[in-house]
Amino acid sequence: MLMHLTLFRDGELRPLDIQLPPPAGLGLGIDSWEGASVSTALQYAQRVFEPNLGYSLSCRRGLCKLCAMRIDGEVKLACTVPLHDGIRIEPAKPKLALHDTVVELSLVREKPKRIKPGRTLEQTAQPQ
Amino acid sequence: MSESSSAWDVIVLGGGAAGLVAAFHARQAGASVLVVNKGLVGRSGATITSGGGVSIAGQSLRALGLEADASDTEERFLQDTIVAGSWLNDQQLVESMVTGVGEEVGRLVDWGIKFTINRRAPGHSSGRGIHVSGVDMQRALTRIAVQAGVSFREDFQSTQLLRRGAEVVGVLGLDRRTGAVDSLYGHSTVIATGGATSNWSLRTAPEELSGEGQRMAVEAGATLIDMEMTQFLPCCLAAPAIWRGLQFPWILGPQSGVHAWLMNRFGERFMARWDPTRMELATRDMVSAACATEVYEGRGSPNGGVYLSWKHLPNDIIDHFPSMSRNISADWQWEGFDMTPLVERIKQGYAIEVAPAAHFSLGGVRVDRGTHTGVPGLFACGEATGAMHGANRLSGNAGAQVLVQGRVAGLAAAHDARQRRARDRLADNHGAAFSATVAPFEKRDGIAPFELKEQLSQLAETSLGPVRTAESIAQAQTALADLKNSALPQLACRTRDLMWNRDWSDALECQAAFTVLESALLGAAGREHSIGAHQRHDHKATYSGPLTHSLIRFDAGKLVRHTTPVAFPFLARP
Ligand SMILES: Cc1cc2nc3c(=O)[nH]c(=O)nc-3n(C[C@H](O)[C@H](O)[C@H](O)COP(=O)(O)OP(=O)(O)OC[C@H]3O[C@@H](n4cnc5c(N)ncnc54)[C@H](O)[C@@H]3O)c2cc1C
Ligand code: FES
Repeated sequence: MLMHLTLFRDGELRPLDIQLPPPAGLGLGIDSWEGASVSTALQYAQRVFEPNLGYSLSCRRGLCKLCAMRIDGEVKLACTVPLHDGIRIEPAKPKLALHDTVVELSLVREKPKRIKPGRTLEQTAQPQ
Repeated sequence: MSESSSAWDVIVLGGGAAGLVAAFHARQAGASVLVVNKGLVGRSGATITSGGGVSIAGQSLRALGLEADASDTEERFLQDTIVAGSWLNDQQLVESMVTGVGEEVGRLVDWGIKFTINRRAPGHSSGRGIHVSGVDMQRALTRIAVQAGVSFREDFQSTQLLRRGAEVVGVLGLDRRTGAVDSLYGHSTVIATGGATSNWSLRTAPEELSGEGQRMAVEAGATLIDMEMTQFLPCCLAAPAIWRGLQFPWILGPQSGVHAWLMNRFGERFMARWDPTRMELATRDMVSAACATEVYEGRGSPNGGVYLSWKHLPNDIIDHFPSMSRNISADWQWEGFDMTPLVERIKQGYAIEVAPAAHFSLGGVRVDRGTHTGVPGLFACGEATGAMHGANRLSGNAGAQVLVQGRVAGLAAAHDARQRRARDRLADNHGAAFSATVAPFEKRDGIAPFELKEQLSQLAETSLGPVRTAESIAQAQTALADLKNSALPQLACRTRDLMWNRDWSDALECQAAFTVLESALLGAAGREHSIGAHQRHDHKATYSGPLTHSLIRFDAGKLVRHTTPVAFPFLARP
């Protein structure tokens, strides 16, 4: 099972191909990767191949939208998309990319444009 | 790795429903408020995944001018909750919930949150309660907290409470975005970090509920109560991986009152041994215990579950189901999934393999009805706390709990902060708190944290599932002690990246897992009878002896179990 990843690292997009071994016996409860989600595959890849690999995951059921990624060209929720051979995985929006597949999805973070020059994001989160 | 010097009035740890309601009320009371959340606010925690029930007596709904069952009083709501909890509830907490939730639902109405009124509420004696989807609830509360002027620090995994003497003066944690280990100072701190169910492998709950709040609280001098009590939701999918932990079969079956049949591998309807009248429609603690017992006694399905079958029902009942359901669409879309393949299989007459999944932490930080933990400057609310629901939680009661306790905690913390403002607040445990948090990052060679995490969740599954024995508990205690000595200090990060270092976060979650599991095992070993979520296979007889709460405290660096008798101030135990 081959995954083509495009990851956002150090300010640029970089390709990384990962070949997953057959899943039987990995404790995932599946005989073929088609029974697993993209999120499960990324989790496995971080554990076994690429300790740096960044991905977001919370509810695993399509509700929190945290795992949004571009999968085969379309923005989808990685926890709900079954894997297939040759799948392409990229950050949902390169402009919002923070690290690898993780993109800025905060609902409460102050927009950077509202921050006065010379103040960092952290400083804006001080007591008012 | 900086230490900031200014202080908030109130710091709330966790941005689920409990935390956001607390933050809103503390802010309304004039406090400056920071919500610290492990993931993104509005995109993490159990609240989003909630089926959407919020229990409230019909009487309280009518007081708000809404149509509801007039015969459903607060007393009945209290009684249902305590009977379902097998009398193990802290009745003070229950009374505060049943009498307080009316005002909170009134506030939801004022905020313009859309809800429907229930006609059926599983386990309750009346169709009590309202329904707001978890997504809608989380979204509305996030908006309301923002509008109230609450500040946020996201992707911040709190790991240690900062203390000065016995008082809590803030929190230290890892900023996952940058890798900074930061200290945040506050006059009062509220723990609202949710349950600890992520420590089980098969679970309905999201990824991040590892029990750091419970760990931090007990280490700061608070007490954990009834930690052996974890609610399991019966009839969840264990496979395939993409559907693991989904409770869809439960919804299409017993939860909705649909008479699907549970069978073991001999085709026997084993619920007859537990509740011959209600059968599959028995309470969820009993259905979970029954399913787990079949597996334990060797009558389970090949993948370690039991069978749920609709074959005796005409397909029409299944075809018509979506039109009766608030959550399932006409083409079987449910949450993020297309469930058509599963439904087709059911209609072809196949049974579905199901198993109980860890769902809700019934135990947690001990609080009184004012949400005080007994530690100066520290409050707790929501699923992070324990003993509201006793040995089993009724549907919708967590929704009521988070609203009521959230408000009480927010107001109490704001009030407390006013008393505390003038005090010196520099922490005297900063060095130790910092070292414990950076230790796994600084270690280069050792054990990869995910390996330990997997071992711990397997240990939870085998010893702290719905069915337990003295032997499995004792074995797990030995194994856990070994891992604590041999593996925990050896945790190391395989990468030096500071940003989004998952090995590092995993290692910190392992620290919490040890406290959660050790406390639960101590409680489970000491409770030598079966009650609700805690079924002892070696003590199966119905228990009517004296009831006690398991209390876990941190004494001289060790977790120690005590007990206290359960009190019955509002409803006498028959
Ligand atoms: C699938 C499912 C369905 C459910 N359905 C219902 C229902 O229909 N009715 C009902 O009453 N209850 C239901 N429940 C239970 C209910 O949803 C929860 O008990 C409730 O939402 C808990 O709210 P909370 O605010 O206490 O915690 P959560 O909503 O879990 O929020 C906790 C927050 O704390 C954060 N956090 C965790 N650790 C840290 C840390 N170390 N530092 C900083 N932040 C941290 C998390 O990121 C999270 O955002 C359901 C639960 C599940 C899993
Ligand atoms: S993890 Fe929540 S939508 Fe995928």
